Amino acid sequence: MSGEDCDAFDRGDNDGQKPDKMFTLKKWNAVAMWSWDVECDTCAICRVQVMDACLRCQGESKKDSYGKQDCVVVWGECNHSFHFCCMSLWVKQNNRCPLCQQEWSIQRMGK
Amino acid sequence: MLKDKGQVTFEDKWPAMRPIVLKLLKQETVTQTEWQDLFGSVHSVCLWDERGPYKLRDALQQDIMMYIKQAQNRVLAQREDQALLKAYIAEWGKFFTQCNYLPTPFRQLENSINNVSKVSSSNTSSTQKKNNNNNIEDSLVRKLMLDSWNQSIFMDIKQRLQDSAMKLVQAERNGESFDSQLVIGVRESYVNLCSNSVDKLQIYRENFEAAYMQATEEFYKLKASEQLLANGVQSYMKYADQRLKEEEARAHRYLEPGSGSVAALTQCCEKVLIGEHLPTLLAESAPLIKAGETEKLQLMFRLLDRVPEGVTPILRDLEAHIVSAGLADMVASADIITSDSEKYVERLLDLFKRFSSLAKDAFLDDPRFLTARDKAYKCVVNDTTVFKLELPSSALIRGSKGTAPESKCPELLANYCDMLLRKTPLSKRLTSEQIESRLRDVLLVLKYIENKDVFMRYHKAHLTRRLILDSSADSEKEEDMVEWLREVGMPADYVNKLARMFQDIKVSEDLNTQFRTDTTRHDAINIKILNAGAWARGSERVTVSLPLELEDYIPEVEEFYKKKHSGRKLQWYHHMSNGTITFANSVGRFDLDVTTFQMAVLFAWNQRPMEKISYENLRLATELPDPELRRTLWSLVAFPKLKRQLLCHEPVVQNPKDFTENTTFWVNQEFALVKNGKPQRRGKINLIGRLQLSTERSQIEDNHSIVQLRILRTQEAIIKILKMRKRITNTALQSELVEILKNMFLPSKKMIKEQLEWLIEHKYMRRDDEDINTFIYMA
Ligand SMILES: [Zn+2]
Ligand SMILES: [Zn+2]
Ligand SMILES: [Zn+2]
Repeated sequence: MSGEDCDAFDRGDNDGQKPDKMFTLKKWNAVAMWSWDVECDTCAICRVQVMDACLRCQGESKKDSYGKQDCVVVWGECNHSFHFCCMSLWVKQNNRCPLCQQEWSIQRMGK
Repeated sequence: MLKDKGQVTFEDKWPAMRPIVLKLLKQETVTQTEWQDLFGSVHSVCLWDERGPYKLRDALQQDIMMYIKQAQNRVLAQREDQALLKAYIAEWGKFFTQCNYLPTPFRQLENSINNVSKVSSSNTSSTQKKNNNNNIEDSLVRKLMLDSWNQSIFMDIKQRLQDSAMKLVQAERNGESFDSQLVIGVRESYVNLCSNSVDKLQIYRENFEAAYMQATEEFYKLKASEQLLANGVQSYMKYADQRLKEEEARAHRYLEPGSGSVAALTQCCEKVLIGEHLPTLLAESAPLIKAGETEKLQLMFRLLDRVPEGVTPILRDLEAHIVSAGLADMVASADIITSDSEKYVERLLDLFKRFSSLAKDAFLDDPRFLTARDKAYKCVVNDTTVFKLELPSSALIRGSKGTAPESKCPELLANYCDMLLRKTPLSKRLTSEQIESRLRDVLLVLKYIENKDVFMRYHKAHLTRRLILDSSADSEKEEDMVEWLREVGMPADYVNKLARMFQDIKVSEDLNTQFRTDTTRHDAINIKILNAGAWARGSERVTVSLPLELEDYIPEVEEFYKKKHSGRKLQWYHHMSNGTITFANSVGRFDLDVTTFQMAVLFAWNQRPMEKISYENLRLATELPDPELRRTLWSLVAFPKLKRQLLCHEPVVQNPKDFTENTTFWVNQEFALVKNGKPQRRGKINLIGRLQLSTERSQIEDNHSIVQLRILRTQEAIIKILKMRKRITNTALQSELVEILKNMFLPSKKMIKEQLEWLIEHKYMRRDDEDINTFIYMA
């Protein structure tokens, strides 16, 4: 290891003024991860994890637009969730939830 | 005219014809009248005497034979070889010239004899026309002359002729000079003598060429052994090389061009000079390779490549040399390279360059040698002698029963790559071009790594660290590297995931800007909210009880995020977060870059600045898991860069493992940064080091998840193949599987077998009832 990061300096700012605490926070870089609030990690229609884009979107995006978060998740009234892309194709064939066979109606969309 | 029929007979005419014929044979001058008379006589005999043509032919043959006998006597009178050859060539020259003259007056004879035989065999007029149109080559009389020569003089003395000619060639080989025209003359006579229009070279090949070959072979059989014995292999190779060139040039002189003789002779020389001494020559290959004698090796390569299977053993020698020299080199410097990834990669590249220049200088970059180099270098790169990374055998993972030790190369390579891409002393020292060229070097070595998945995992972990700590040296180079990884064939889903991380960081930066404008009082906080799918799949969080100063921010961030998005949940990754705190003591004020864990530990003293706090109580205060707390404390009591540490502890231990519940810690009120031996009152130090993101637990998890990922990838690949093939034999499946997975790792036979069993058990596939080595897909 080198001393590069050890950057001692001696400037007389705030010298006489004692802070009330021994350690005070100057900067905090906080990290969090988001994920869809789903019961099942995998989209039952395309078998891809809902955190990833669905198969079709992965195929289309390839190089230019990966990482775009257009491929959102949709929740039905039954609380089952799928890629929105996958579900919109599915309901054209069969207006029932692939998992519980209840009639499909959208409860909410991911954003 | 009818009455004249039968009146002119062969017997009438011949006495007048014969002297002219003899003169012609002897190449004596004939007058215009004699020449024309001969035409006329031949015509009359053929026209009036029914048996005339045959009688004429027989008489002609007799005289030709007689002439040849005389010529033979003149030739054989010569006792000395050169004189004999000279005489023969002279006689032949004369005779051969006559072969082109004598037939002309007898053309009528040929037509008569041919017509009779053609008509009697009821040939069509078109073939007759062709025969009438005869050229001198097809001439019956010419054939008669050549065959007579062949059967008499040639048969009798050809052995002497050949022997004499070969003696001359041999004399030339031994450095004596002579009239090369003699040998060429003999060869020409052999070539021209042949009356076989289908294979004009028959006599030449069966006699002259065969004799030439035999003589050459015998000569070098003797010489080669002598030379080898007297001067050894290395000087022999020079001899052989020179001789091969010489013989090729000689063959061009003495053998018939366009007959394939030169190639045959060269092959014969190669056999005698090289092929028959192959084992002796090859015994030198390994020592020469070892000594790096590129010039001699080049000669050896050139020579041995001339004979079948000559090069194969050299390839093996080169391969063995690279493996053993490479490994010896690595083992010799094991101490340095196992701990220093820069040195390690430099050493590997150095070896690669060394072996490549050997392949270039000695073997002219011949593809076969490059393949041997690649094969051997792969062994060196993937060797496990120097260090071993034990992948855990774990019952937790389905279908797994442990794996063999692996090379640490992928890990060190990823570390080196990190050193180039992160702000480090190394990356600061190098120019952009130098960094690029070194990254290219990494990619070169990467090609040879079997377990690319291990590299990918470490590379991704390093990239995560760089992006989260904002410690990339050059963000453009970062993204270039992603594309280069794609170019060298790293799996697309992996590369895409890396690219997605860059994208995600940008999205997060925008979000942070919005957060900071929306909520004005938060100058102290930056947020990164990242896509868990891209960044953190499978990695577990480490929990910590945050100091109040930090905890206050959490609900506000969450509130803000909820307004921006819906259907999302947030998880805090405090082992990834970090910050800067100011530490004030009696000496001065210092800014410390710390991890959130370090922060949590240090803030425990804010309520009780002068107290000693036990390990046990720090654990209660921070709620950090034991290994994490030990590591964090160790970084505060024994940070390598510091002369005066931040925390003191008692009793003093040499290893974080030796902290007990009752070890006590207190803040060093004498803490200061020391510069040039003097304590400073102000300063800034980064205490994060390599701590962040590399929790002990997650390192084990990394290895776990590599195994798990391999199992998953293997299962996926098997299903993919079966879906496509419906039914497939075990052997075919294995080879397709390796093809699919080779860019990630080499699946072991054992692992494949385990996964096949697992998939059968879970009814994804079954064995064929007829043949247990065939698998059938079950949809
Ligand atoms: Zn889907
Ligand atoms: Zn989609
Ligand atoms: Zn449902």
